[in-house]
Amino acid sequence: MTETFTQRHPLLLLLFVSIALATLLAALWEGDSRLQARHAARLIELKQLDARLDREVLQVTSFLLRQYDPLVETTRRLRELGRWIQSPEASFYGHEGDAVDRAADAYRSAMERKIDLAEQIKSQAAVVRNGLHFLPMAVQALENEDPRAYRLALQLLNRLLLFNLFTSQTGHDKIQQMLDETELLNDLPDDSRERLDNLIFHMRANLAGQRRLGELKEDFIAVPSDRLFSELNRDHEAYRQSTLRLNRSLKTGLSLLVIVLILGLWLTMRRWDSAHHAAERSWSRLHDAVESIAEAFALFDRDGRLVLYNRRYLEFYPWLEELLAGPATLEQVRQANADHLKPVPVSDEEMEVGIQMEQTDDGRWYLASDNRTSEGGTVLVRIDITRTRQAEAELRKLGRALEQSPVSVVITDTEGIIEYVNPKFEAISGYRAEQAIGQNPRILKGGERSPESYREMWETLVAGHEWRGTFHNRRPDGSGYWESASISPLRNERGEITHYIAVKEDITERRQAEQQLRMSAAVFDTTTEGIMVTDPDGTIRSVNPAFCRITGYSAEEVLGRSQSLLCSDRHDAGFYRQLRSRVEQEGQWTGEVWHRRRDGSVYPAWLSIATVRDKRGEATSRVALFSDITQRKEDERRIRYQANYDALTRLPNRTLLLDRLVQAIASARRERWALGLMFVDLDHFKGINDTFGHATGDRLLQQVAERIRRAVRESDTVARFGGDEFVVLLQDIRNAGDAALVAEQIIATLSSPFQMRGREIFIGASIGITLYPDDAGDADALLQNADMAMYQAKESGRNRYQFFTPRMQEQVQQRLSLEQDLRLALERNELELHYQPIVETGTRRAVSAEALLRWHHPREGLITPDRFISIAEETGLIGPIGKWVLETACHQLAQWRAAGLSDLCISVNLSRRQRDSGLTGTYLDRLLSATGLPGDALSLEITESLLMEDTRESIAWLSELKTRGITLSVDDFGTGYSSLGYLKRFPVDVIKIDRSFIMDLPDDSDDIRLVETIVAMGRSLGHRLVAEGVETRAQMEILERLGCHYQQGYLFSRPLPPEQCGQWLDEHYARRDCA
Amino acid sequence: MPRPLFILLILPLLGLGATAATLRDEPIRPVPPATGVDPARAELGRQLFHDPRLSDDGSVSCASCHPLASGGSDRRRFSIGIGGHQGRINAPTVFNSGLNFTQFWDGRADTLEQQVEGPLLDPGEMGTTWSRVVARLNGDPALRQTFRRLYPEGITPASIRDAIASFERTLVTTDAPFDRWLRGDDDALNDDQLEGYRLFQEYGCISCHQGVNVGGNMYGYMGAMGDYFSARGDGIRTTDLGRFNVTGREQDRFLFKVPSLRLALLTPPYFHDGQTATIEEAIRTMARFQLGREIPDRDVARIIDFLGSLIGNHPLLSP
Repeated sequence: MTETFTQRHPLLLLLFVSIALATLLAALWEGDSRLQARHAARLIELKQLDARLDREVLQVTSFLLRQYDPLVETTRRLRELGRWIQSPEASFYGHEGDAVDRAADAYRSAMERKIDLAEQIKSQAAVVRNGLHFLPMAVQALENEDPRAYRLALQLLNRLLLFNLFTSQTGHDKIQQMLDETELLNDLPDDSRERLDNLIFHMRANLAGQRRLGELKEDFIAVPSDRLFSELNRDHEAYRQSTLRLNRSLKTGLSLLVIVLILGLWLTMRRWDSAHHAAERSWSRLHDAVESIAEAFALFDRDGRLVLYNRRYLEFYPWLEELLAGPATLEQVRQANADHLKPVPVSDEEMEVGIQMEQTDDGRWYLASDNRTSEGGTVLVRIDITRTRQAEAELRKLGRALEQSPVSVVITDTEGIIEYVNPKFEAISGYRAEQAIGQNPRILKGGERSPESYREMWETLVAGHEWRGTFHNRRPDGSGYWESASISPLRNERGEITHYIAVKEDITERRQAEQQLRMSAAVFDTTTEGIMVTDPDGTIRSVNPAFCRITGYSAEEVLGRSQSLLCSDRHDAGFYRQLRSRVEQEGQWTGEVWHRRRDGSVYPAWLSIATVRDKRGEATSRVALFSDITQRKEDERRIRYQANYDALTRLPNRTLLLDRLVQAIASARRERWALGLMFVDLDHFKGINDTFGHATGDRLLQQVAERIRRAVRESDTVARFGGDEFVVLLQDIRNAGDAALVAEQIIATLSSPFQMRGREIFIGASIGITLYPDDAGDADALLQNADMAMYQAKESGRNRYQFFTPRMQEQVQQRLSLEQDLRLALERNELELHYQPIVETGTRRAVSAEALLRWHHPREGLITPDRFISIAEETGLIGPIGKWVLETACHQLAQWRAAGLSDLCISVNLSRRQRDSGLTGTYLDRLLSATGLPGDALSLEITESLLMEDTRESIAWLSELKTRGITLSVDDFGTGYSSLGYLKRFPVDVIKIDRSFIMDLPDDSDDIRLVETIVAMGRSLGHRLVAEGVETRAQMEILERLGCHYQQGYLFSRPLPPEQCGQWLDEHYARRDCA
Repeated sequence: MPRPLFILLILPLLGLGATAATLRDEPIRPVPPATGVDPARAELGRQLFHDPRLSDDGSVSCASCHPLASGGSDRRRFSIGIGGHQGRINAPTVFNSGLNFTQFWDGRADTLEQQVEGPLLDPGEMGTTWSRVVARLNGDPALRQTFRRLYPEGITPASIRDAIASFERTLVTTDAPFDRWLRGDDDALNDDQLEGYRLFQEYGCISCHQGVNVGGNMYGYMGAMGDYFSARGDGIRTTDLGRFNVTGREQDRFLFKVPSLRLALLTPPYFHDGQTATIEEAIRTMARFQLGREIPDRDVARIIDFLGSLIGNHPLLSP
């Protein structure tokens, strides 16, 4: 008994231990689950409150919640739970890991946002409800007062109520518009007007309120509290699961421990039982135990003799029944089995753990495990895995289906991590299975879906629903593709989602085709070109909006009819026949045709026809594209006209004239005709423009054009060449006399007065004539000739005509060569300054000298400025030449002053063109400081014509020069038309009386009076006076008497080269003020 | 079974059912009696409410500005704090304040407990600090003992807050004629009051003044349909900005907690600026700026009749 006790003692001990452990575990479990239950209850309440908040807020926005107390209660409790969620004392926040905390934060702030929005919705809804409540009464009040205002108001009210029920942008805009319109009605009596205005004010406020309420509602609905709650719950659940798992493994471990102990005990008992009769009981217990297990079991002792087996073993191996009835050995059993079992190859792994497979000849599968017992016996354990094998085979079949599936299949776990992809997936995505597995499908993302839509997808999936949609994905090489996907959750037998399976199809091509189609449709509808699709036989199948716009037909009118309804009678049948055959042969045609609109009018169209063929090359339809080119043709015509005609006079312009001239020369050459070309330039036209304005000038030009046109034959061309220049081309003339006659007629007709603005205006014309082939053989030369002849006519007195002569050509040539030479004159040192003294007559001493330019031309000898200054001005050479003159003169003066003529001044002529060629104040400063001269040593002489320009720029320029202290003189005074006014405006110091007034002194009494006047005038303006060209003593004396004390002329000295002038000055120098 | 006995048996049941069923379905609910408040703590709160030691110079108690007998407010435009400081905003009634969804005109406190601190620490009202208050109250052995009995932690800011808030929760005015009418007593209101209630709804006042406290459960813009402040003149003060002062959000400018109308007749002057002296003028102002319309004098009088029916009873309130 003692022994029995000692034998059993460990068992009891172990039993105690395991019971103690299990109790401990259960207690732990219980405590934990109570906390979890509390958390769950709160979370459930939170979820319910959130839903209640949604419901109540929606009730508020629909004005179904008449008092807000329930909502206040909901928000109060939600706030409390919100605080609980984030409170560290709740053993929730800060206890279940970062993910839970983050989710709690996000959920709490979403909830706060919802509550905040709910508050705003409450305020807004009260205002809107109030309006909706008041408005019907206010409208009703109008009924008896003003039926019309009542009707308007009622209409508005109905709209507004409708908008409240079915909010839409168009509804909103419509009401706005109606309100605006009603507000503008101004024929209502004041009283109802006022009431109506008040109503409109309320309606506007209400409309704005409804809108704002709508926005708030959308904002409220958009708060993803549901999702955030799910996340929170999921994270919390995940945490709970993980603690649960821990508990479970603890429990499992403990249970295992207990079982191991029991087994050890059993073996001990087994040994002990073989020696004692008590073994009987144990044996039968063991037998019962063995009987009750699901596996087949057989035990052989060390000598291979069968010790024990269960009924299941016989069921597994029915053929052993006889054998096992007697004393069987392991060897016998194995032999008997060999006949009934098919050999199954065994893997190394299986070998290692002592497990192998058996298949019986009737197709059953057993998992076989033969193990040695510690005493050397053998335990056979068999498990029937036939069903598992079948399931496995099933699975394998499915697997093969997956492997060979034409669609791509991806299986992920619940976290979205890829666990399986099929070969098609590899083919489409470009990722190999081993690259994809373990990744998130995010790696495929092409970026065309918004994060929201991914979220939406996950929400659908987490909720256990199937999700369908398209993805735009990207392969590792960067190329994109579209997939249509269907993703569904996979559940285990308990209904829990374990995986997600995505079945996807590459729809890139389909999508591209769709896109192409959509684009084509858009082009079809929006292009400005008419499109008509017809059968090969010409029946219209489809037309676009532009077709209807251009032709005036509606689509219904033309569909099913023949395309010939567009044909106009501008083309004959042959044209259309030809067009058709071209289209049939070549498949296309492009060109201009005349089409007919629905209203019968005809228009030019640019038409392209193309043929659509099927795979066999048969024409299935034709597409005709056309545009109305009426406008284009009109534009072309206008552009052509503008390019060739003068807009003002409608005469051909320079371009067209040249064109006609070239043609006329060609035909004249062919026909041996003569041509006359006339250059007509109006006299005094500039004056008309200046006096009467450009509008009058333009009208005059139109009349001139008309008169010239009437003075010539139809076949002749009159062209406007620009400004007031006209060119007349006379075709086929016999001799110069013909041309002269026409010129006379033109002069006569232009000399008779024009009626303008109620008065007569006189102009005239100067005409230059040249003849083909006598004077020149090409258009350019002829035009040049006529131009030259015209100038000649002008110079010889205006209002006359002049034939071109070779002498004119010579003059031009001469001028050209002079210009060439002048360009070289400076560098060749051909220019020289001569100086003519200016003398104060009282003392007969020189006070100043005028620098005068001379050109020693290598062939022509000495040339005076009047022959080349105009060329210098035209070519811009005046710039360098003018500077050279100034610098040379100043250096000369400096030299003279240094030599003792210390108060002598110098006078230099100034061209107005020098203003634009760098003669500035700073230039003068540099020059004066380089030569050491004071400003007042220099006098600049300008001509009257510069005064006449009288521009602000000229005055500014001269004033700037004057600030350097220089003196300004007006040269040749009296020859131009300058008046006192000009003189007053300019900062002039000195007037030089022109030699033409001096010439005839003292005999010409008119000139005496003139000079007297000039002197008096000059004095009154404070100007000094210098007389030019004084040649005789008598002239000097009378001028002196008239009050002109400074004189210049041959009487004193002719212009002299510098050295000689220096000598002269030495002899006559006077220390006086400069003049 | 004899008939009379049967009727006697089921009468109470009928009566019970009738009470529950005849609570009229109106946007205003009757004021429930204060429940769930520890009477001892509330009594302590009552003492504290009247205790001037809660102010810095011992001159001002909560009751100074919220005298209970006169309706829970001092009927001044702005109350006078310590040292003769004048307040900046009209003091609302303390009655039924526990039924409001937030405290103060701008709703800056969620609970009565939080509210306590506002006037206590405001330099222009009671102008004290918690440490000073706690120290001073600790100097009173009897009070210390009372606290010790009711709160294990003794005198602390939290216990002071809790006591005062507990007291304030008992300040509900129950059994108003209107509440009796809601519960099915047809005779509780006269015709003028019923007409007033009808007008109160028809003009739209009910949109904001609803629920148990006839207000106090939402925010509303002062001047929803007209510019109250420019009509009032004398510029905009900080206190005019309302909830903007709490949230700093532009949309909350001029947004105020809609006040309860339960004791409106007892608590002039009106509005946060206390600028309106009479209830007649207050009703007209509301009509003009909140509802955008004018109300004839006759209707104003009826609405006042209705407001009178909202006043319930409380032992500390002398009607």
